[in-house]
Amino acid sequence: MYLGISCYNHESAAALIDNNGNLINYYREESLSRVKSDKSFPKRSIKKIFEENSLNTENIRSICFYEKPLSAFLIPLKTALKHIPKSLDLISNQFRNFDKSSLSCYLDISRSFPGLENKILYVDHHLSHTLTALVYSQKKNNLCSLVVDGFGDRSTTSISFVNSPYEINELWSCDYPVSLGLFYSAITDFLGFQVNEGEFKVMGLASYGNSNSKISKKVSKLLYWDDKYKKIQLNMDFFDYHVSLENSFSPKLKSLIGEPRNPFLPLKLNDKNFQHYADIAAGAQEAIINILLNLFEYSYQITGSRNFLFSGGVAMNSASIEKIAKLPFIDEIIIPPSPGDAGSAIGAAYYSFLKCNKNFSSKIVLPKLFPSIYSYNNQKKLTKKIISRNFEKISDRMDESYKKVGELISSGEVIGISVGNSETGPRALGNRSLICDGSNHDAVNFLNTSIKNRSPFRPTAPCMQLNIAKKYYELQPALMQAYKSMGATCRCKNGTNSNSFPTSHVDKTARIQIVEKDTILNDLLEILKKYDIEILANSSLNLSGDPTCFDLIDGLMVCARSPLRYILTDFGLFKSKY
Amino acid sequence: MKNNSNYLNVMLETASAEFGSALEMLAACKTSVKDTFAFGYFEHSKDEYNHTKTFLSILSKAARMMPADIARKYRFNSISLFSKGYLSKNGYLIETMKLKDFIAYVYTNELLAKESFEGILKLVKNNYEDTNAIKNIMNDELRHHGFAKEHFLKYYPKLQPWQLKYYKAKETAKNRFRRIYDFNLKLLGKLLNPLYILLGYFGVQIISLINTSNLSRTGRNLMDLKSNSIL
Ligand SMILES: [Fe+2]
Ligand SMILES: [Fe+2]
Ligand SMILES: [Fe+2]
Repeated sequence: MYLGISCYNHESAAALIDNNGNLINYYREESLSRVKSDKSFPKRSIKKIFEENSLNTENIRSICFYEKPLSAFLIPLKTALKHIPKSLDLISNQFRNFDKSSLSCYLDISRSFPGLENKILYVDHHLSHTLTALVYSQKKNNLCSLVVDGFGDRSTTSISFVNSPYEINELWSCDYPVSLGLFYSAITDFLGFQVNEGEFKVMGLASYGNSNSKISKKVSKLLYWDDKYKKIQLNMDFFDYHVSLENSFSPKLKSLIGEPRNPFLPLKLNDKNFQHYADIAAGAQEAIINILLNLFEYSYQITGSRNFLFSGGVAMNSASIEKIAKLPFIDEIIIPPSPGDAGSAIGAAYYSFLKCNKNFSSKIVLPKLFPSIYSYNNQKKLTKKIISRNFEKISDRMDESYKKVGELISSGEVIGISVGNSETGPRALGNRSLICDGSNHDAVNFLNTSIKNRSPFRPTAPCMQLNIAKKYYELQPALMQAYKSMGATCRCKNGTNSNSFPTSHVDKTARIQIVEKDTILNDLLEILKKYDIEILANSSLNLSGDPTCFDLIDGLMVCARSPLRYILTDFGLFKSKY
Repeated sequence: MKNNSNYLNVMLETASAEFGSALEMLAACKTSVKDTFAFGYFEHSKDEYNHTKTFLSILSKAARMMPADIARKYRFNSISLFSKGYLSKNGYLIETMKLKDFIAYVYTNELLAKESFEGILKLVKNNYEDTNAIKNIMNDELRHHGFAKEHFLKYYPKLQPWQLKYYKAKETAKNRFRRIYDFNLKLLGKLLNPLYILLGYFGVQIISLINTSNLSRTGRNLMDLKSNSIL
């Protein structure tokens, strides 16, 4: 068995790959600790992997850390050094907190899982991203891998050619501090959203903006592709993330585009400042799309490959992917369900496996979309009193519960689902979801606003079977796999009413999910045919600011804290009395 | 302005403390040995989540009146609970404490929480709505305290009320110590900062001698990089 872990910088996670190279278990630490974006050493995740698979440290052949810790520590320091005295605080902080950096991974492993520290491997960070994407690709040879993130251990963007899983040649890279991910995060911060989770909001907000507006142009001009030198250029005068502990953007950015937004002021569609901020978001989005288009173009030039792996945090920018996929030289883009650092634990585990198995035959099956093993027996006992006191049992037979859910959805109800194993994240794909009729404006609005308290400019995703997706949306063959995990948006089809669906965005796109056979959502959609419901709105089962629910207690807590009335569990359907 | 910042700070810190309790209680719920205990912790956790929400909304109302540059510093962020000390890196209290100590801790802390809210009440005295919300929270805390006390005496009958008083005295002292410690830590941090800077400066001088340009991997097979190397 082989482990991979990621931690200290972004969300931490642990993955387990078996002796045949298959992903069999995976946890994000936040699911278990309940602290959103938890980046601490994934002790709980590893422990749970051991428990669920009856393993101990002796069963592990190697454990791989998702980056090279010393490079990850040194490179930002060396950059900061060039900006002394401005960067002194950042530098002293790096030293003060070196025990919370990647450098402490050896210590943390040996402290929590003695014996495992002798089996540690370190993988190049962008390689761990590439391998994560490769795990999800049917094709394992002759691929071009594009990795775009904030920063790992060396570069911030890279292009490699995957000749085989054992030969992955890096052909081009972009060095820190020039970074698409950190640029986007700085704009996220400027717009008053939380870095590492607010990026989705910026993306949603961007479609309300006018990318030809003056302010938008000012933003998009800060980041561009230099075609002569084949380089990404970012005007660092406007950013401080590489020199300051507290500020991601510099005062110069304020003089360019005005004051940052007060994070506490609600951002409403008709507010006087709304357009201003939407235009800023649109500028950032425009810049990212332009660079990505150039990067894909250049990748094709130097690799000649028409099949792409796309990963790193920026690959979560689902709105840009729709445009990229239209490039004429692209046959397929594989985006793993968790393209960011949490998912790179999977690539790290895969690296462990490849390093110990020199001649594997490519019989590896694609990972499931629900790799976080969850067994409900203990929680069934534990929640007995919680349920008997504050919930009403609608049915404890699953087939009957599904039928009842169908009925309730057709009457406009929102249903929470906490059934079976859980998703890779960050997208909920039906096992930890909040769902309702995707054509019912009131229901979608209730889900979005009353239950989740989401910003009105972030629409909920629609999910449906393949034939329905073909009917309403312009699907792109290159993205068929990405649609399974909500990895890309697509355009509403002309001549249909899909752009008036409550799940459609103002720019006439939707972040669709095409459901797979043998999934809960597919079963429900079958039942819903009777009621002429073809599309479900699907959002993660959690309240704003919290990680997606993992176990039943988390799910019941959502009912206790919000107006959510129904929850489908592994042992029946319940109605909340809270 | 300084007063306003203090107000925001109190609300943010209180929300963080409440959120920390919510997670502690949730963890206790999930590790309970009986469904009746799980129920108690579940309800307690729910209350603490709701308290967090109340304080965040009080914070939000005040912060939106402030200039963006100041307001930005008071954004609530759950991972900061680790660095602020509301959650421990080593795990939840239920995972690191003996059950008896844990219940005694809840018992005393609820009482202390209620007491500290009296100070907050003074801060919001002009706002009827906020005053009411905080009074409701104080009632919740008293109820939590009552449950913990009852629980404690039921399952540890050998321990008498005077022993609970002892626990309370201990916690009060600890809390006070925590405040002194926190203050000293901040002071120490300030005093030591030049040292860290100096250390950083020299560290960086040494680091600058390490040539990172040979870290460039262009043209190399990444699978061939040494897997035991941290560079
Ligand atoms: Fe990364
Ligand atoms: Fe509380
Ligand atoms: Fe309490």
